[in-house]
Amino acid sequence: MALPLTYNLRNVLVRWRATLATILGIALVVAVFILIQSLAAGLEQSGRNTGDPRNLMIVRKGSTAESSSQISREQLKTFGYLPQIARDGRGRPLLSADLTVLVSLPRADGNGEANVTVRGLGPMGIELRPQVTLTAGRWFIPGRREAVVSTKMAQRFAHCAPGQHFKTGGKELTVAGWFDGGNSAFDSEIWMDADEARDLFDRESYSSVLVRMMDTNAAAQFMGRMEKDRRLPMRVVPEVAYYSEQTRTSVVFKVIGTFLAVAMSVGAFFAAMNTMYASVGSRTREIGTLRVLGYRRRAILLSFLVEGGIVAALGGLLGCATSVGLQSLSVFLGWQFGTMSFNTFSEVVFQFRITPGLAAQGLLFAVVVGVLGSLLPAIRAARLPVIAALKEV
Amino acid sequence: MSIGSFILKNALRNRRRALLSILSVSVSLFLLVSLLVTLRELTLPPEDMGAALRVAVRSKLSIANLLPARQLNRIQSIPGVSAVTPFTWFGGKYKNEENMTFAQFAMDAKKLRAVFGEAKMSEPEYKAFESTRDACIIGRVTADKYQFKRGDRLSLESSIYPVTLDFTIAGIYEGTVDDRNMLFHQEYLDEASGNPGWVGMWWLRVASPDDMPRVITAINTAFANTSAEVRAESERAFQLGFLSMLGNVRVLIGSISAVVVFTLVLVSASTMSMAIRERFRELAILKALGFRRRELFVFILAESVGLCLAGLVVGAGGAWLLFTHGYGAGLALLSGAGVALGVALWNLFQKRFSQAAMNLPVSGLLASLGIWACRHPNISKMTNGFFITFEVTPKILGLAALVATGLGIVASIAPAIAAARMSVVSGLKTLD
Repeated sequence: MALPLTYNLRNVLVRWRATLATILGIALVVAVFILIQSLAAGLEQSGRNTGDPRNLMIVRKGSTAESSSQISREQLKTFGYLPQIARDGRGRPLLSADLTVLVSLPRADGNGEANVTVRGLGPMGIELRPQVTLTAGRWFIPGRREAVVSTKMAQRFAHCAPGQHFKTGGKELTVAGWFDGGNSAFDSEIWMDADEARDLFDRESYSSVLVRMMDTNAAAQFMGRMEKDRRLPMRVVPEVAYYSEQTRTSVVFKVIGTFLAVAMSVGAFFAAMNTMYASVGSRTREIGTLRVLGYRRRAILLSFLVEGGIVAALGGLLGCATSVGLQSLSVFLGWQFGTMSFNTFSEVVFQFRITPGLAAQGLLFAVVVGVLGSLLPAIRAARLPVIAALKEV
Repeated sequence: MSIGSFILKNALRNRRRALLSILSVSVSLFLLVSLLVTLRELTLPPEDMGAALRVAVRSKLSIANLLPARQLNRIQSIPGVSAVTPFTWFGGKYKNEENMTFAQFAMDAKKLRAVFGEAKMSEPEYKAFESTRDACIIGRVTADKYQFKRGDRLSLESSIYPVTLDFTIAGIYEGTVDDRNMLFHQEYLDEASGNPGWVGMWWLRVASPDDMPRVITAINTAFANTSAEVRAESERAFQLGFLSMLGNVRVLIGSISAVVVFTLVLVSASTMSMAIRERFRELAILKALGFRRRELFVFILAESVGLCLAGLVVGAGGAWLLFTHGYGAGLALLSGAGVALGVALWNLFQKRFSQAAMNLPVSGLLASLGIWACRHPNISKMTNGFFITFEVTPKILGLAALVATGLGIVASIAPAIAAARMSVVSGLKTLD
């Protein structure tokens, strides 16, 4: 017969002083694990969030980032009027030839400089990206040296408030307004007019072309046609797929998070083992009594494992709560993280994103540590000789 | 019995607990040291000997923008400049590898020795590199990783230029801080891409360190208000600029270290209280014998600090051994595995099967860690080339020692207060 669960629960409560430290220790391990993994998840989400399913993205074959891709104006002409491309009311193809340039800008906190992606958009560029909305000021006007900065970048870089000017390429750009990319990769960009950008940065060609397709059939046809054309060394991918592929940076966070979690949980494992040994040691007589009452060895073993699991699960829950609390706090205070993307070599901004899956992983992690840590103490408890245990003072 | 041996006996009376406490402290200190070293590497990268004489010139726009090749003559004519070479990021993908694992740069082979004097190669290798159009040289670390040798051919598809280039390896160099890069001829790249007249950066060497500030200013002003403005800076400043792009990662590591320290305090404080609570009766007897509270505090303090310092030796010392003497760490782990195996065999011999069953996995774990350490004897192999050096400095060790001592003191406070407050009578009545 198994020992009732309340026995373990009450034991945990009675010995709260000893268990509290273990619970807190495990909670911290779980919180660190969840938070770092949630940074990776936040990065991946900003990639997955980006793009419109109706759009295709065209870049040079072999280029790994938009800023290293080149599409000449001649090349653009050969595919810019293909019939599969959707048209607007006046019959113009829905297409935007963009120029992306990495520009080094000073940080707002004076801590050096970082690369920022400046995107020059064609006249249809904004229309093709409906997820981006204006939050302050107005959009740039083609033909003027104006830029619109993502709200998140504006907080991180100097001179980015509407009306202010920042200098790049030897010329000054006026900030016309702010936009919000809706947690997409566009949140890490500065936007301006494409031809203005080509002039400012002295570029002949474009970097990438974004096209809206009539429908999925047309998209398949278009991709097949571009693939066959040997004059065009181009790669055509759905816009959504292009951005969600860019996850190289999040891998780093995942590796760091896993390493830390494993290392810290080894420490927590020893600590949990210590607590459980002490718990077994101080309950020797009690265990002897239970045995005399008829509980089998394996009931005792199971009971201690369950107890370790309960302690760890409490720690895990506390860790989840802590990390969710920190996430809400970071949303409330408007925190954001920024680091250099290993895909574009420019700054990307992202937030914590705790998914139910991550929380479940954290909990599972905690319970595994707790059960494994109490295994040896539980075996010891189960093997106590009855008579000697009863005699124990 | 002297007081010293009394404390030692007390600390070791429950060996299992002492061992577990030491292990949990040491794991945390190991982690702390690793984090601090990472932080240091990210703030203060290692420096080459010639760095004080080198200047990096990049486009003022950003490092990703190219510079016109015609700037060369203007830079060369600045007094104090002893050698200039283009330095162009090729961004080649090797075979089907997803991530670029070594950087390739196009440069002027004749200026290699003048600008990057640290790169050591034999004379014939230099000759071969200089005289062959499609020759390249590769750093020792990368060469070892891919088992490249002289005369091998390799093909790289650039992610920047619309070309795929074939190279012959003319030599393997070593002796720089970062022996990972591949270098080849700028002319070869120019020819293949149709002589566009652009280079990635300029790297140059100045005649003496005193010339450095003047040369940097001269280059910056030489191209001010031209279509290709440049930013010249010392190699050090250039590297630090790169690191500032990592953004909040440093804050992140800093806060994780703080969490690790906090966890440490929690765990060791609770262990210490546990150890003392079990001993209330004895402490009461000591009090009854006339020991003062102060003396009891010293007993507890010495035990707690002692355990933490033992954790320091294992954790921080282990980190130092692993990161600087990988083979040593591997051998230490393997010998640990041997001891565990021996104990397990002895247990088997004595027919204590359950203990043997516990010691065998411990032995296996230590052995696999040891073999891993022996097969990755340096940090660049451990991190797959992400970190080149991972120096555990005396300062970091000192900080870890400080944390360990502080930890021991903090952990002893609560139990010491409890012991001081307890009345002799109630202490004697305590059961467990």
